[in-house]
Amino acid sequence: MAVGVLIALGESLSPGTYTDVRFTWLHLPAPPPGHPGAFPNGFSLVMGTLVDPLSALMLVVVTVVGFLVMLYSIEYMRKERGLPRYYAELSLFLAAMNGLVLADNLLEFFLFWELVGLCSYFLIGFHYERPAAASAAKEAFLVTRVGDVMFLLGIFLYFAVYGAKGPGLGWAASGFLFVQGNHAFLAGVPAGNPTLLTVAGIMILGGAAGKSAQFPLDVWLPDAMEGPTTVSALIHAATMVAAGVYLLAVTSVFLGFTAFDSLLIVALGGITTFFAATMAVVQPDIKRVIAYSTISQLGYMVLAVGAGFTMVGLYHLFTHAFFKALLFLAAGAVIHAVGTQDLFRMGGLRKRMPLTAAAFAIGGLALAGIPPFAGFWSKDDLLAGVYSTLGSHPAYWPFFLLAFATVFLTGYYIFRAWFLAFSGEPRDPSLHAGHEGPWEMTVPLVILSALAVVAGLFVYLPGFQALLLHGGGVAGIPPVYGTTQLLLSAVGVSLAGGGILVAWALWGSGRIVPTPSAAPAAGMRRVLLARYGIKSAYDWLGATGVYTVARAADFFDRFVIDGAVHGFERAFGDLSERMRRIQTGLVSDYASYVVGGLLVVAALLLVVAPYLVGRFGGG
Amino acid sequence: MLPLVPIVLASLLAGTVATFLAGRWARWVALATSAVFLAEVGGMFLSYSGWPGYNAQSVPGFAESVSYPWIRLPWMQVNFTVGVDGISLVLILLTAILQIATVVYSWKETKNPAAYFGLVSLTCLGSFGVFVALDVLLFFLFWEAVLVPMFFLIGVWRGPRRRYAALKFFVYTHVASIVMLVGLLATVFYSGATSLDFSAVAAAAPGLSPVVQTFLFLALFFGFAVKFPIVPFHTWLPDAHVEAPTGGSVLLAGLLLKLGGYGLIRWAVEVLPAGFLHDRPIVFAAAFVSIAWGSVVSLAQRDLKRMVAFSSINHMGIVLLAIGLDSSLGLLAAVLLMFAHGIVSALLFMSAGTVHHTFGTRDIPAIGGITPATPALATMIMAGALASLGLPALIGFPAEFTALLATWNGLGYLVLLPLGILVVTAAFYIWMMQRMLFGPPRGVPLGIHDVPWWEGVGMGLLVAVTVLFGILPGLLVNVITSSPVKGFPGT
Repeated sequence: MAVGVLIALGESLSPGTYTDVRFTWLHLPAPPPGHPGAFPNGFSLVMGTLVDPLSALMLVVVTVVGFLVMLYSIEYMRKERGLPRYYAELSLFLAAMNGLVLADNLLEFFLFWELVGLCSYFLIGFHYERPAAASAAKEAFLVTRVGDVMFLLGIFLYFAVYGAKGPGLGWAASGFLFVQGNHAFLAGVPAGNPTLLTVAGIMILGGAAGKSAQFPLDVWLPDAMEGPTTVSALIHAATMVAAGVYLLAVTSVFLGFTAFDSLLIVALGGITTFFAATMAVVQPDIKRVIAYSTISQLGYMVLAVGAGFTMVGLYHLFTHAFFKALLFLAAGAVIHAVGTQDLFRMGGLRKRMPLTAAAFAIGGLALAGIPPFAGFWSKDDLLAGVYSTLGSHPAYWPFFLLAFATVFLTGYYIFRAWFLAFSGEPRDPSLHAGHEGPWEMTVPLVILSALAVVAGLFVYLPGFQALLLHGGGVAGIPPVYGTTQLLLSAVGVSLAGGGILVAWALWGSGRIVPTPSAAPAAGMRRVLLARYGIKSAYDWLGATGVYTVARAADFFDRFVIDGAVHGFERAFGDLSERMRRIQTGLVSDYASYVVGGLLVVAALLLVVAPYLVGRFGGG
Repeated sequence: MLPLVPIVLASLLAGTVATFLAGRWARWVALATSAVFLAEVGGMFLSYSGWPGYNAQSVPGFAESVSYPWIRLPWMQVNFTVGVDGISLVLILLTAILQIATVVYSWKETKNPAAYFGLVSLTCLGSFGVFVALDVLLFFLFWEAVLVPMFFLIGVWRGPRRRYAALKFFVYTHVASIVMLVGLLATVFYSGATSLDFSAVAAAAPGLSPVVQTFLFLALFFGFAVKFPIVPFHTWLPDAHVEAPTGGSVLLAGLLLKLGGYGLIRWAVEVLPAGFLHDRPIVFAAAFVSIAWGSVVSLAQRDLKRMVAFSSINHMGIVLLAIGLDSSLGLLAAVLLMFAHGIVSALLFMSAGTVHHTFGTRDIPAIGGITPATPALATMIMAGALASLGLPALIGFPAEFTALLATWNGLGYLVLLPLGILVVTAAFYIWMMQRMLFGPPRGVPLGIHDVPWWEGVGMGLLVAVTVLFGILPGLLVNVITSSPVKGFPGT
């Protein structure tokens, strides 16, 4: 942690781009003359490190949250079996994430990206003896794999477009680096084929959508709640899902997106933000409420990156990491204390766990975007930034409105969870009485609470501001708050506050509100609980669709292809039986065979061979 | 200069003969043979890879090439010519690694151990010969010499339908060999070469008319492709794997399939370039069908060994695709992938063998949740599966990455098929792990033991190789790119 923070401090004191240690991982030398290939100057894949404002910001997030989660794990995981495995996987997870953040080229990025995915597979399936955990791990791996394959194609496309370009021997020969010296390698390189670039951007977006659980590849993240709560905190705050947003940020800074790609990213972010928030509204499971809120908040970050406010998106990632880790660890403390994740069985925990209740409330206020908590500053900047682009990009309007409406839903769903868990009286006497955890659990909560309060204010520190402003030359924080922005903030805060008030009105007493029996409301609730049917559609596709095709192919393989082989074998047996019979021993028979054979040979030589030669352009 | 290749050949031959004769000491002799072999090949490999400077060291042409007059006919010169280049050196390294791993893994083989270890050594000897032979006759002799021990390995030791499987294997590959031999000899005679040496044939044959080359290439392609195997000539492979003992499966998947790939690169693509270009659509069609078919059919398999066998068809399809691309990047990818698949499929077949004799079955749905009882075995299965589905930091990744990149450069959006199939490949491995390794224990008898030490050492060696070259693929790449094949700078 210390190292990460130190690097970030150094970066904030003197923003710039630093690269170090690089070694050639795989090198294909230039082919000799006369053998043109796709990469005439050869081809290198390298491993190196790169520190710039983007990675510095991410380093802080990964190392600080990672450290606090480790500390918290000591108590939370104390009674589990397989702890060496747990800590090894957790460490590898953090190492892979740091590697990804420090990568200096796309291939290295991809390598660590896959390792991050592997570690989340391991950790989601930590309780592998539980079928639900094994299934969730599989789902996470396969859904993100779809994104990974798209990312890989995106890499190929960028290699193809820019491989031969760039100064010196070209981008391919020097290892596809993001930067050379202190400049983006491709700065000043004329843009390549616009169609290919657009497709490449879409593919990168697909990869990011898989990792960051954007619509429609979001199904794995709520199911990933099968992992230990500490793992959820890490995945949701600092590793895994952050990687997708970071990929978009890095791509937008070093490679750039076309206008169409930007619109697509904005659309995806806006839709995901709203869509995930609606599903959070009805969830009975405390961890799933927070999981959907993560998807929703990631949508905000994607939206910002798409609209061109890369550093603002990362700024939201930064503040989000702290309050989201806080929410998860507070939820973990509750689960640890009462032994259930079902909100409807909790209630009244405020009195027994005051510190946890306060921590969850701080996290909730930060998430909802109430000043002066962290989420307010970044979300406000983000929405103001997107708003400022609406003049030049009217197509962004619907997605901006979706994102804006989500502010209300956010306030509602997170405080619905708070009231259900902490206010009123305990609803299920069979649960253990709640109690606060020991210091290993409370200290991270306190630290994260403090960060969730002040992280947004970091923007007024000159060093941090410089970091945000120098993020690869893209627009940073809107520097002055004009009337429009102030109005926007006021509306946003009132929306969030309104959401909280509605939650208080409905759930503040701690009593269960019966679901309205009116058809539209009940139907809506069913659709939301069924996650719009997307999960079932995927399950059907995998279990029924693909598996049926595979079974059919297997049948074909065994009975048609191998059947033909056996048929051939039998036919050959029959043939030899008949051949045996023509061995009559009569000279006249043999003479007729000889003549017949000669005729066939002559026909082949005189008719068939010239025809073939003529047909295939002989010589 | 020492004639290194004949020395290695002689040591391997002596070791093999001694193994057959050694009776109850056979495994020790086999171990010594394979250790000497690995030391020789490893030394050769390290000196060419530029270790430890880790810079490309170009060894132009066939290094260690020697030629002795063998048979003199008035119209034809037959030499005993052997030599290695980067491509064959990498495959020889694979042979040596697999030999020692197989010997250690099978340490407690009780059914006729002298014959078993002797046949294992003989298979490796034949493969080594194929990789170093630079003469048509010598090449064919070694090629056939591999079939015989493999026939017995499949047909004598294990499964209930072993005779059927062994016969099917032999008929299939032997018919293919004959077609290949006819093709090779026709190439020699049509081209007017007066020597059976590779260099003479490779110099004369490209002068043949493209039409003739087209037909000759098809014959050679058929001969080599059955060994890959390509769909629809693949049904011998799953049967052979299911019935073979573990050591047989390891060598079959790890080595025999590579003979097809190597033969295609050395004796068909290089010798008949115009025919190759003409027949590329057929090559691509075979490759794409094999890639898709192998992966999709794997998903439906219940027998762990059959599943791995079909995944081999998928991976070798990618090798064929990469060879067909006719680019230096594609060739590099093909050789890397052959090495990777050799190591990883061997690891998977070993773990399948251990599963079989630990649980009495290889039926995936019949056993589940084995991890608590046999953590080491579960780790090996997981390592093999993850390497096979192309996870970075393991050997499969650099191979598949370069193969797909080369495919994009050569064929454009057709790369979507192998790319999409990557998801299916991930799916059947991940699903297998979910069913077999995770969940509540099912079909796990009480009092079973985890991997015995000799099997653990055999598999552990392969895992180590997978990780080493996964992290430092440059070691292999430097050697491969020094080959005198068109497009590489060693030309």
